[in-house]
Amino acid sequence: MGSLFQDSSIPEIMPDPPEGVRFFPVRHHSPVCAYQLRNYVRGYQPELILIEGPENANDLIPVLTDEHTTLPAAIYYFYKDKKQYVSEEAEDYHCYYPFLYSSPEYAAMDEAKRLGIPARFIDLPYSEILIHTSESAGLRREQERHSYADDSHLVQSRFYQKICEKTGLRNFEEFWEKYFEIAGLRLTPEAFLRQMFTYCTLTRESIPPEQMEQDGTNAREQHMAYRIREAMQQYKRILVVTGGSHSGALARLVRTAVKPIRLHKFSEGQEGCYPIAYSYEAADALNGYASGMQHPGFYDKVTQALADAETSEGIYAACCLDLLTKTAKASAKKDIPVSISDITAAWSLAEGLAALRGSAEPGFAEVWDGVTGALIKGEKTVAAAVPLELLIQLGAGEGIGHIGDTKHVPPLIQDLIQTCAVLRLKADTAVPQETEISLFTGEKELAKSHFLHRMVFLGTGFCKRKKGPDLHAGKDRSRVREVWSYCRSPQVDAVLVERTTDGATIAEACRSIAAKRIRQERRCAIAAGVCVDCFLMGIALTGEDVTVMEEILAGDGDLFSLGKGLQYFDMLHELRQLYRAEDPSLLRYITQCFQALLIQLPSMAQCPAEQAQDCIRICRLLYGITGRLLTDRRAEFREALISLTERPDKEPSVFGAAMGLLYAMDAACLQQAEAAMQGYLMGSQEMRKQGALYLKGLFETARDIVLGESRFLEMTDALLSGMDHADLMEILPSMRLAFSYFTPSETQQIAEAVSALHGGKADQVLHEAALDELLCAFGAELDAEIFREMRANGGN
Amino acid sequence: MEQDLIKPPVELRYAEELSALKAADTGRRPENWKLSPKAVRTFILGGTVTLPDGQKRDISRKFYGNDALVERCIITLAGNRGLMLVGEPGTAKTMLSELLSAAICGRSTNTVQGTAGTTEDMIKYSWNYALLLSKGPCREALVPAPLLIGMEEGIFARFEEITRTPAEIQDSLISVMSDQILNIPELGDAGLVFARPGFNIIGTANTRDKGVNEMSGALKRRFNFETVSPVRDVKLEKEIILREANDLAKAGHIDCPIDRDVAELLAVTYHELREGQSAEGTKVEKPAAVMSTAEAVSVYFQTLCHAWYYGNGTMELPVLTENLLGAVCKENRDDLERLRSYFNTAVKQKSTREGGIWEAYFKTAAYLK
Repeated sequence: MGSLFQDSSIPEIMPDPPEGVRFFPVRHHSPVCAYQLRNYVRGYQPELILIEGPENANDLIPVLTDEHTTLPAAIYYFYKDKKQYVSEEAEDYHCYYPFLYSSPEYAAMDEAKRLGIPARFIDLPYSEILIHTSESAGLRREQERHSYADDSHLVQSRFYQKICEKTGLRNFEEFWEKYFEIAGLRLTPEAFLRQMFTYCTLTRESIPPEQMEQDGTNAREQHMAYRIREAMQQYKRILVVTGGSHSGALARLVRTAVKPIRLHKFSEGQEGCYPIAYSYEAADALNGYASGMQHPGFYDKVTQALADAETSEGIYAACCLDLLTKTAKASAKKDIPVSISDITAAWSLAEGLAALRGSAEPGFAEVWDGVTGALIKGEKTVAAAVPLELLIQLGAGEGIGHIGDTKHVPPLIQDLIQTCAVLRLKADTAVPQETEISLFTGEKELAKSHFLHRMVFLGTGFCKRKKGPDLHAGKDRSRVREVWSYCRSPQVDAVLVERTTDGATIAEACRSIAAKRIRQERRCAIAAGVCVDCFLMGIALTGEDVTVMEEILAGDGDLFSLGKGLQYFDMLHELRQLYRAEDPSLLRYITQCFQALLIQLPSMAQCPAEQAQDCIRICRLLYGITGRLLTDRRAEFREALISLTERPDKEPSVFGAAMGLLYAMDAACLQQAEAAMQGYLMGSQEMRKQGALYLKGLFETARDIVLGESRFLEMTDALLSGMDHADLMEILPSMRLAFSYFTPSETQQIAEAVSALHGGKADQVLHEAALDELLCAFGAELDAEIFREMRANGGN
Repeated sequence: MEQDLIKPPVELRYAEELSALKAADTGRRPENWKLSPKAVRTFILGGTVTLPDGQKRDISRKFYGNDALVERCIITLAGNRGLMLVGEPGTAKTMLSELLSAAICGRSTNTVQGTAGTTEDMIKYSWNYALLLSKGPCREALVPAPLLIGMEEGIFARFEEITRTPAEIQDSLISVMSDQILNIPELGDAGLVFARPGFNIIGTANTRDKGVNEMSGALKRRFNFETVSPVRDVKLEKEIILREANDLAKAGHIDCPIDRDVAELLAVTYHELREGQSAEGTKVEKPAAVMSTAEAVSVYFQTLCHAWYYGNGTMELPVLTENLLGAVCKENRDDLERLRSYFNTAVKQKSTREGGIWEAYFKTAAYLK
């Protein structure tokens, strides 16, 4: 490694910190940094360890090092910029500070615990970092927005690109693995420290000073230096563990008097932090966590193997062989033939490459090459590269951490873990799971459905319903099973942390959010939609919420919103026993909506054509309700319909539907329906076209009128026969729709009646013999030939 | 001697570099290898070596693109599996195979050229029938083919375009690769030929021939596969065109100045037609023809020859476009329309934006007919 820097013009690489302070530069999640840091701590025996990290999470250090805590875990920071210190947009911000077993910061905290000495974070609080960062820089950059542990200075500098060119390595990860992860294990802690300082100092040199100002580095370093100087007053042996790019600068800064940065004061709830479980998948740099290492699962295994072994030699080889074997096994499970000979060839390739590249042991890069060369048969295409995909998956690792000290776990996350345990849902893996719920077989099954619906309602992204009744869209209501896919991720925990202020349990949070939404709403349809959510979540709205709901229903004058609301309430009322969700308020809501709609019903007569279908739907709904629930109000409904039919300039399909409903309630109305149809028939050409719409509405609500009374068929026949081709084409869609309301057997019946009118057979109407394709082609050719002949003979 | 040959073999062309590498080589070598794997790497990917007398010697880079692929190839050849290079035509598979053979065995000419007419005796051995008739089956009457030569001498046998050979002929390699023994039954007990250390097989297969004679699973298992991709970097492609054309010009005694701008035009044209998109984001239809760097070199060299023999030594763009037309529109008539459309969209755009040579290039669109 040293030879790489031979041309460097920088004379002094190792910093010269004041007496009693040592700096240890690290790369986040780097096993070798964690390993060498532990060794260094054991030699140096510090009295205090200071760690780069927002200092408002100092109380959480014991939680992370708790013996019952399992990594990956993260500190979740949030800040609500209500006072617009960051920007005028007053946005909410949040980020994660993840810890793996391979994280040197975790090793530092763990060593401090082992030695019984304090460990502290020394960086600015999260809110202050944001305040001191320019727009689109540092933690305000889109790609780094959600991760505190930022190594971009190390991995994005021009310096490393040159070094990759010089060493012939493909990328930074390969360079880092060869020269630091593998070679670094064979160095003494002091030699490793020198190597780290050399690399980090040179990368820092290539970063423009203005960038340091913009991304908040200068402010952060000023604060960290101030905290170190504070500690120097009290402790004589201090170890400072920070990201590689800061260590050298801090060592220089602490020699001079540093002014403190003025910290803002925030009210409770405006900023905070929680420990949350994290996943390997989220910690993988390949998944967009740009600051981390790639393949964190693999490197965590290396770290754990290093902790258990007496010597670091052979650790990488053993872990790589293990990874290769697992990849081969996983490939075999996917029906990709992998023999022992293939594994041997891949391993020998990996070992040979390590030797050729001057690496003491194979690393992930060599396993990658081994799999590429020996396990992919034929051309390397997307389809053939499955073993590589599996290698990436295994390298990333799976599984999710656990916070041992439950006092610090936000209540909603505790509730999630407990509920998952009760309902036998897997909450300790980041691998997507699937569960099937038989909705009506028992309370436990329904409880599972309620829980998953609650997680959807909270917007956690925890689960997604793949199959099952969709009550919002009114689809698949007859399904008795739900199929859900679900997966716990750090984002799920983050949302639950943010929802902590809404309630102490998931159910409570859902209830309070639902109540808030209803209060914010003035439209019946949307408020009723929230009621559907509550129904699915097994949450009943009570007390003040019911009053608010009634106020909304009373205040909403929109016919269609009320119609949609009534449809929802009617559905919920119908399903209440099945879903074991009795709610006495539902009938009151239905009555209220019914009343409001009844008043407006006559005015539907003049609705625009595009809303006619909705009006017909509402009419049918009201008819259905007066038949099932509000039977005593049928007469009022009839009166309202009669009033509708008496209005001038009626929309024909709504008129037809109203006439159909009146006929359904009283067969004596048939004559009026016939008269109306006659009116359209006798009218102008335009009126005759409207007759088709009238029929559509009529058939939608009273299709038996056609089957029972031949007069209507005769009139329909007269209507169609009396039209020219262009007009017929115009009304054809409406007529098609009108006849689509009939069942196949009814269609057969109508066909028979129609054929009787014209002296034919039903089969001729319904199933006319198909035209032979060849015959048709022949006819077309014949036509063309005739035309050619005619033209040739002087015709036109 | 080199200058007397149209295309001297790699070991001859780079004899000086190979001997320098050998002199400077201190690395561990697999048995019978002329150079250590590290030195082979340097020979192919370039670098600097220090000779025993302390002098530095630059080694030129001969293969561009994926360095890790070259490393994998070298290590594969040191193991007990064959190396199969697959990829689009013109991606320098053969060149890589020659370079590896020349550096490792000192000989790149022990080759079987796979065709539909390749028979087993072209791969293994045949007989001198006059001797066979007069002396009967004996070693003297045996005519060794590349596989037998490779086994006996401990060198590589190169099998070009393996998938053009019938599957049953391909499969004759299986037993040799498994057992490292070739049985010549006619010779009786003396007919067992054991492979010497250093023997291996480098095959090449063209992905455009996929499905013509698919390799059997048994044979695939005996090879490590490496997919050689076209060069994706325009700058690199330009440099390759220039370097290769320069070498060809030297070999042909053509003392014509190399035009870097023309090489760039050609590199950009080939790159964009291959990718189906111009640098400005305009979508262009990909021709059915192979748009390899080797083809681009050929077009460039033809234009250079035209300038040398018929012109005043300056490369002319109309000639370039005509040569391009000949290279692209070979099998598919629609490729002419695709090329025209490329000129009328991407080249036109560049001509308006950048002017200069692109403007002149666009004007040559009239020759596309």
